[in-house]
Amino acid sequence: MREGRNWGGASLVLPAFVLVAAFLLAPLALILRYSFDLHDPIKLMKGVFSTQNYVQAVADPFYQDVLLTTANIAALSTVIVMLLAFPVAYYISRLESQRLRGWLIILTVLPLLLGNAVRSAAWMIVMGTKGVANALLLSVGLIEEPIKILYTPTAVVIGLVSVLLPFAIITLQSVMDSIPSSLEEAGQSLGHSPLRTVYGVVLPLAMPGVAAAAAICFALAMNAYATPVLIGGPTMQMMGPVVYGQIAKANNWPFGSTLACILMFVTLVLTIVSTRFLSRKYF
Amino acid sequence: MSGVTLSNIRKTYGELAAVDDVSIEIRDGELLALLGPSGCGKTTTLRMIAGFVAPTAGTIRFGERDVTSIPVHKRNVGMVFQGYALFPHLTVAKNVEFGLRVRSWDKERKARRVAEMLRWVQLDALAERSPRALSGGQQQRVALARAMAIEPDVLLLDEPFSALDAKLRTQMRKEIRDLQQDAGITSVFVTHDQAEAMAIADRIGVMSHGKLEQLGSAEDLYKRPVSRFVAGFIGKCNFVEGRVVGAQRFESAEGLALQFGGEHAAGAAALCFRPEHAVLEAGAPASGNSLPVTVKSVTYLGPSTDFEVLSDSGQTLLVSAASGTGHAPSSVAPGQKLRLNWRPEDSFVVA
Ligand SMILES: Nc1ncnc2c1ncn2[C@@H]1O[C@H](COP(=O)(O)OP(=O)(O)O)[C@@H](O)[C@H]1O
Ligand SMILES: [Mg+2]
Repeated sequence: MREGRNWGGASLVLPAFVLVAAFLLAPLALILRYSFDLHDPIKLMKGVFSTQNYVQAVADPFYQDVLLTTANIAALSTVIVMLLAFPVAYYISRLESQRLRGWLIILTVLPLLLGNAVRSAAWMIVMGTKGVANALLLSVGLIEEPIKILYTPTAVVIGLVSVLLPFAIITLQSVMDSIPSSLEEAGQSLGHSPLRTVYGVVLPLAMPGVAAAAAICFALAMNAYATPVLIGGPTMQMMGPVVYGQIAKANNWPFGSTLACILMFVTLVLTIVSTRFLSRKYF
Repeated sequence: MSGVTLSNIRKTYGELAAVDDVSIEIRDGELLALLGPSGCGKTTTLRMIAGFVAPTAGTIRFGERDVTSIPVHKRNVGMVFQGYALFPHLTVAKNVEFGLRVRSWDKERKARRVAEMLRWVQLDALAERSPRALSGGQQQRVALARAMAIEPDVLLLDEPFSALDAKLRTQMRKEIRDLQQDAGITSVFVTHDQAEAMAIADRIGVMSHGKLEQLGSAEDLYKRPVSRFVAGFIGKCNFVEGRVVGAQRFESAEGLALQFGGEHAAGAAALCFRPEHAVLEAGAPASGNSLPVTVKSVTYLGPSTDFEVLSDSGQTLLVSAASGTGHAPSSVAPGQKLRLNWRPEDSFVVA
């Protein structure tokens, strides 16, 4: 009986499964295969199987450095995003007025409609030496000389945070919606202040959502392309643009694939380790 | 522990007065029920006592302490929520311990208190379970243990039995009442079920449209309701419209002379009597109240038989005859013309 039902269900998801496999897994497998091949200036690939790319990439201080920078910036952006998104999501989720809630949610996702490149361009205008931010700070008298914001790691973090914030807010808000407010009232009636109740009741219950949102943000930040290129400038090296450079500019598909696989592997490991750590702490 | 005093508390939402000038003195150790139909302001009253809702006017005192402007978490109230609101991510023991986390007690003392509370509600065997793995009745006992662990000044329960099935409800009523008496804690519970309120409360406050209609023991409310609303809400009641024409003398709308006990000012009113105080007989008694009626329906219920009868003015009246008292005429059938008789001392008048 149960067996039969499972098969029925399986046959229903089969088309979707085939599609996902074709569109996601096949390119992945292809890239994995390329990463073990070697560059050939004429044929693009030699058609061999070698670990040479990996050895080369891992041993090269330049790529070590880029990977480390990428991971650092992604982690920092993720932490900042989560710290900002949590209170905002909590505020939206606990609003009594459904109208206001609806508007705030629309406002949150609105930037996503703009696309990454357009938003990065907007940040360039804001953060340039003659940009809006500097003009404002100068006119208020907080600074005397224009400061360099654009083309610094700080600028990249700011740009990434603005890109990731909507994803995090929406994910967290939907998780918090599922936490009944009577649980918070229970916490308060038991002597916990409202703030302490958020920490002691809402946070642990929202932890799966926090972990999911952080994982999404971290993965997106690790693989960011437009933001580091446009806001980070030519000296700022992150993995996304470097992979692209190998494949599109240097035409070295195998080595680009190797870097992509390393990036994916590192992202996966860091995500799993940190989510494990978070869930161990709270459950 | 202490009593709770509500003095002229009001809560308005825009134009609507959800709670309108309510004053109640809840005695130390008393179990008070707030009873009334849905939307009459019971929950709002309870939430004002808890501190979740700030009164628009009036004061709330726990003993001598004015708590009106004190936030929930500093009020020291034990609250049992409608759906229990147990923390799903914590074990039963951790739930009970939750309120002790903010205390500077040492670990051992907290553990002792938790064990004591779990023993009190007979759940010590389930301490390490998740609350999701418990039955409704067990969850309610956890909620009670959690609320009582902090040694609150007052215990508040919002419709505590509504999530339980009928049989368990009756059982939990008694359990909660026993535990409340055992702890001797001043308690307020909200319900729309008059049988529930009568079964376990020391006193009942009947509310209607935000106002406290009457406050008294179940017996007070049943025997001496002060308003038509209370008479109709607490148990079943027959109303005969008419006017008070003199001392204990009443004239029905059709002009029949009736008598009642107690006192009431002259003027338009209704004479009331309970279905179980009336009997159906062939003739009128020498003295006492009597109406000519036509039997509409007969319902045999086991312990009693209920009759619906129609007065000459077309009003439906209820009669309930307890089985085995000889008051239930076995031969009564619909359509039969009889007399409905009841004693003046079982009659009261409401405006
Ligand atoms: N937060 C609120 N905003 C507006 N009206 C409310 C609010 N809370 C309660 N009310 C209104 O106040 C009245 C009393 O509500 P409540 O105390 O919940 O009644 P009960 O518990 O007796 O059913 C109802 O008419 C309800 O609609
Ligand atoms: Mg209610």
